[in-house]
Amino acid sequence: MDFELTSDQEALVSAIDKLAQRFETKPTEFHGFALVGRELDEELTEGQYFDVAQIPELGPLAAAIVVERLARLPCTAEIALSMLLRPHLPGEWPRPLGLVEGGRPGRFVAGARTVIAIEGDSVSLARPAAAEVEPVESLLAYPMGRLRSCVASTLLASAEAASVRKWLRVALAAEASGLLQAAVASAVEHLTLRKQFGRPLGTFQALRHRMAECAVLAGGVRWLALKAAATADEGDAALAAMHAQESATRIVYDVHQMLAAMGMTLEHPLHLWTYRLKALLAELGGRGGQAMAVARHCFGASA
Amino acid sequence: MDFDWDPEQRAFRAAIRDFLSAHLPPDWELQAHGPASQLQSAFSKKFCGELARVGLLVPHWPKRWGGRDADPWAAFILAEEMWEAGEPRGGQYMNVNWIGPTLMRFGTEAQQQRYIPPMARGETIWCQGFSEPEAGSDLASLRTRAEKEGATYRITGQKIWTSYAGHADTCFLLARTSAGKDGISVFLLPMDTPGIIVRQIPSIIGEGDIHEVFLDGVALPADALLGTEGQAWEIARTALSLERVGIPRFALATRMLHRAVETLKRGGRFGQGAIGQAGIARAACEAARYYSYSIVDKRRHGKTVGPEASAARYATVMAERLVSEFVVEHVPESLSGGDAMLLAHHQRAIVAGIASGAAEIQLNLVATELLKLPREPR
Repeated sequence: MDFELTSDQEALVSAIDKLAQRFETKPTEFHGFALVGRELDEELTEGQYFDVAQIPELGPLAAAIVVERLARLPCTAEIALSMLLRPHLPGEWPRPLGLVEGGRPGRFVAGARTVIAIEGDSVSLARPAAAEVEPVESLLAYPMGRLRSCVASTLLASAEAASVRKWLRVALAAEASGLLQAAVASAVEHLTLRKQFGRPLGTFQALRHRMAECAVLAGGVRWLALKAAATADEGDAALAAMHAQESATRIVYDVHQMLAAMGMTLEHPLHLWTYRLKALLAELGGRGGQAMAVARHCFGASA
Repeated sequence: MDFDWDPEQRAFRAAIRDFLSAHLPPDWELQAHGPASQLQSAFSKKFCGELARVGLLVPHWPKRWGGRDADPWAAFILAEEMWEAGEPRGGQYMNVNWIGPTLMRFGTEAQQQRYIPPMARGETIWCQGFSEPEAGSDLASLRTRAEKEGATYRITGQKIWTSYAGHADTCFLLARTSAGKDGISVFLLPMDTPGIIVRQIPSIIGEGDIHEVFLDGVALPADALLGTEGQAWEIARTALSLERVGIPRFALATRMLHRAVETLKRGGRFGQGAIGQAGIARAACEAARYYSYSIVDKRRHGKTVGPEASAARYATVMAERLVSEFVVEHVPESLSGGDAMLLAHHQRAIVAGIASGAAEIQLNLVATELLKLPREPR
């Protein structure tokens, strides 16, 4: 057990920090629902960062650290699935990846070269043609899309499907960790600057304690996400996704309370984190789905 | 970053587990019920003596005092395994974790020679005389006085909520030697000194745990003062830095959650509602575990541990609460004679957010020092 970054991990983090600098703030003229970071995607591709997990000195843990770091940005790109899940797909499947569950609109589907389709217990992979997908307008802060029709897909064997679910959980937790930290930081900034009754909101204990609880929860999500990436254990992945969705449910509500009306505007970036979290809350059956996975993998309950 | 235990850490944990299975009667938690009961206190002296003989009582202490300078991971693995087993060391965990090391830092040679060897042999119980009727979280307002009369301090006042006081040999006592925050001093008070009255407070947390301690002109020689007059805050800060992570409550909470789930599974009662809450509680336990590990890791690397220790402690309190509430809702019979071990855990969990500093104080520290929110007006 040692939580110091290795020199390879440190070098990676510092390169990613440098790369992320350009994307730290929301462009003032942007007033949309999902801020898509095309340039961020290009830079990551150019730097071959999507292959981090396959480099022996780095691996999935380093990839999770990168995912978490980049999720703190106001813009979004299809990073988590490519970095954490794609290396475990059977065969070669091109990125970006989109995710469809139960035929509902999903993240990144309209621009995906590979779509992961989850239907009940089955998981299949498809390479949809451009005409087979379409974007969907959404309140959520990911580019949402859906399959226009039934596309030819490869049904995965149950062990492969289990692996996809496991890495989806790890990717979800790592992404949620970064989003939660950014949302908490955004609320803390507001509470520090905004004054009412003659003093900063952040001096009121009712708000301080709520924010402190949020910060504790977000920190826990980070540890479980990193651990699950490191161990690649199904139980750890289930616990990480469970804690991420449970904590996000609480934190998303609280940070919007802290920001009040300001958090409702498209001018403020808060929704760019919280409405990605809301998308993640529903994935893989939501908290009930994660609890079933915990029951199976940690409590030995039969399916 | 590495989430795996190294071979030495694995071997150390295995050695502790071997010891526990050899020396702990399977039903000891039921026999020695009440973390500070008479039976438990007596048991702890026998058990800690055996731990000491095999080098598992104070491995992280310096060689001079019977340890082997083991790193903070060893100390924490030991604490985890002991707490998970129901803390058979009883109140002696305090000696091992912070009272001994604090005396090593601030005690005179004579104080060290008198008090440390019995701790290292596992044969002595201490209590901490901190809280008073008017001084709980606001410890600086404590009123117990220590007035110097020649070569003697005369101590008058009252302590309350004092754990283990009924069977303690010595008290790590805070008393006021002058006015103001800097007027508080630490005394090492033998509990058989005339003028001390200890009364047990009947409580919902088990036999013998909390007490009132009345100090009526108790005369202590000047060499009972630890450090110098007014040094209590510095000593307390050091003690706190040794005990930053607190009790690894998540370890027993995890075990009891699994125990409760097994009960439900056996009875065909592990349905959707219970599964949902069990998942949340299990994840919270794991989050608390790794939060705590991150503090141990910092100490291992010689880094200053800051407010993240308060965050770790709060994560532990949340986990303990979730498990306790899970049992109350889904295995309610455990509070009415159905499962003495779940009951014992429930009683321990009651104090999680209260003992060794209220959880709300930890939240204040997280808000101010970790989040850097502006301070509250005073």
